[in-house]
Amino acid sequence: MTRPEPRPGLVLPAIAFLVILLATGVAEAAPPGSVVVDIGVVVASNQGTSIDPALSALRTKLQSMFNYSSYKMLDRMKRTLAVGETGEFVLPGGRSMRVTPVPAPGTKVRLAVQLLEGGRNLLTTTLGLSRGGMVLVGGPPYPSGVMILLISAE
Amino acid sequence: MDCKKALQMIQNEIDGRLLPSEAAEIRRHVESCGSCATEAAAYRWVGEMLRLWTASRAGEKAPELDALWTRVRAGIDERKQPKESASWVRRWLWLPAGAALAVLVLLFYPSDVSRAPFHPSSFEVAVEDLESDTATVALVDKGNDLPRVIWIIENDKT
Repeated sequence: MTRPEPRPGLVLPAIAFLVILLATGVAEAAPPGSVVVDIGVVVASNQGTSIDPALSALRTKLQSMFNYSSYKMLDRMKRTLAVGETGEFVLPGGRSMRVTPVPAPGTKVRLAVQLLEGGRNLLTTTLGLSRGGMVLVGGPPYPSGVMILLISAE
Repeated sequence: MDCKKALQMIQNEIDGRLLPSEAAEIRRHVESCGSCATEAAAYRWVGEMLRLWTASRAGEKAPELDALWTRVRAGIDERKQPKESASWVRRWLWLPAGAALAVLVLLFYPSDVSRAPFHPSSFEVAVEDLESDTATVALVDKGNDLPRVIWIIENDKT
């Protein structure tokens, strides 16, 4: 009786997929008591009709919420912050954003967010999100359109 | 048919290399010609002797032929062995190759995930407070399936 041969054509991609999953998990898992804050800086405009591949999962939502034809991701910043620790994210156009995780019950995440332009306070807010949740902050003008910040927390 | 032509064709007739019509013509000539019949008989006798001699030699050489065949078969088996080994190597080559690929993925996977797609699991957000010193801010809520948006309006722009 012959032993069935393994099928490298399937096994190899499976291994690669598992490794990628593992790498992604290792990269994104937040240590206990901390929050991974993920900020995407997007420019929405009516110049062109392209949508950044990183926003592919949000394509229909963006199109149904805004009247822009093009969405381009300028920057993506990710930082792991402990509760009470403030992370400063430098944004285009002389703006910056300060994010501080604050104590939250259960699996929720609370973020104190401050958006600054020069010395001016554009926005101060406190957001309560589920882990993996996302909120958008938009409106500040950008040369070719407006800036939209995608704020998510793990 | 004359004897000269018949003598040229007798051997072919014995060996069965003639057309049926030619063979029949030769046989008719041999039956009617004594000298050609003698020649034909001599050819047949020599052929028979050769067959007997060959069979005798083959019998004598049988053990040597058996030994030769055994060596040939062993040689074939020896040549098969590396092939099977190569096939085994080919069959399992994916394992180190896969491990190497995994290491490369781990090494070069972009740690800042700057181009990784967003996959939010929820858009539920509680906005506890909302303030601005210089702009008008609005919370836009278009339903559970869509993200909440905090929109900043500066100097009536956007």
